[in-house]
Amino acid sequence: MNIDIQSLREAGATIQAAFVSLGGLIGVFSTLAVFYLIIRASEAFGRRSPKNE
Amino acid sequence: MQDVFIGFSAVGWRELVMFAVGGALIWLAVRKEYEPMLLLPIGFGAILVNLPLSVVWEHEGAAGFLKVLYDGGIANELFPILIFIAVGAMIDFGPLFKNPAMIFFGAAAQLGIFATMIIATLLGFDLKAAAAVGIIGAADGPTAIYVANKFARDYLGPISVAAYSYMALVPLIQPPVIRMLTTKRERTIRMSYHEAGVPRWLKILFPISVTLVAGFVAPISAPLVGSLMFGNLIRESGVLERLSQTAQNELAYLVTLLLGITIGSSMRADKFLNVTTLMILGMGLVAFVFDTAGGVLFAKLVNLFLPHDKKINPMIGACGISAFPMSARVIQKMAAEEERGNIILMHAIGANVSGQLGSIIAGGMVLALVPLLAG
Repeated sequence: MNIDIQSLREAGATIQAAFVSLGGLIGVFSTLAVFYLIIRASEAFGRRSPKNE
Repeated sequence: MQDVFIGFSAVGWRELVMFAVGGALIWLAVRKEYEPMLLLPIGFGAILVNLPLSVVWEHEGAAGFLKVLYDGGIANELFPILIFIAVGAMIDFGPLFKNPAMIFFGAAAQLGIFATMIIATLLGFDLKAAAAVGIIGAADGPTAIYVANKFARDYLGPISVAAYSYMALVPLIQPPVIRMLTTKRERTIRMSYHEAGVPRWLKILFPISVTLVAGFVAPISAPLVGSLMFGNLIRESGVLERLSQTAQNELAYLVTLLLGITIGSSMRADKFLNVTTLMILGMGLVAFVFDTAGGVLFAKLVNLFLPHDKKINPMIGACGISAFPMSARVIQKMAAEEERGNIILMHAIGANVSGQLGSIIAGGMVLALVPLLAG
């Protein structure tokens, strides 16, 4: 992985931007997916709990 | 006597052009009501800073009031952070909780950031500058300012102007892109909406969870996410109503006022009037187009896997940009124009608030990944 990063550091700006784009999009999707799971889990928990408002 | 007329001799054609640019921004704010709270102060700040000798910026070695504001609010990122607290206090995540799947449009509609970044490098920008230009696609002024300030301070003026101008122009930018990518039949898809209560504890837990997750995934995004979620927690806690109102009103207005005029002060003729500025303004538009396309195409992709009665109106995807609530309103208006009585507003708002989350996470990703490669 370190070697890959090193080769990316030496690559052209467009290749670097493509890497940032790929990593960024994956990062945004996965982070929002975690938020999605939090909401879904909370819903499931809320349905089980008789005291929710 | 010479000193009396020094003002006239210190002005060149560049400064005159900047007066016209400032005047144009004020005209857009007053006449067209395009983001008036920002474009008017930005326009006036641009005029002020280009006055002879630029005394408001610096004079005889002493900082002028705009430089004091810049150093105290932009250079240290204080103003964008305060704006985020105010925005957080304004956001109601309720529509998202009722249809959580909308959250993914907040990710898909960040495509413009990354597509524009790649285009910018092809046009000769280095990675950091390209990232700062691409972040216009966050459709989120404070995020754009925050990232531009980190990566390309010289481009702060054009990037901010582009971000706020195109946010105001969402009603003109999005509809043609959506029409180009969808069929009439797709635009008339109806989506059912079930009104259901959202437990208060979920509304309180959500901003805390988001802060924790974002803090672990992209620690550098903590100031952005943390301040937005802090504002939201104040709102949803239910016990800080006065603070919530203060954040939504006094804080928002005061900081917006100072932010606008300070951004205007970064539009000095020697830095603003060049081909690069035109390129940045052009790429900003590209970013918004790709954002819209990303959201719409993602919705169409998802529809391939959904049963007939669960299809998503692909226009909803376009709401994944952060321009809230403008984008949701535009999409609802389009839906009603396509077929009277088609109400998709709440879904659109769900996607739109997701865009707010997506844009700051995307900003955090850019802030984390770019230094990894560009140092």
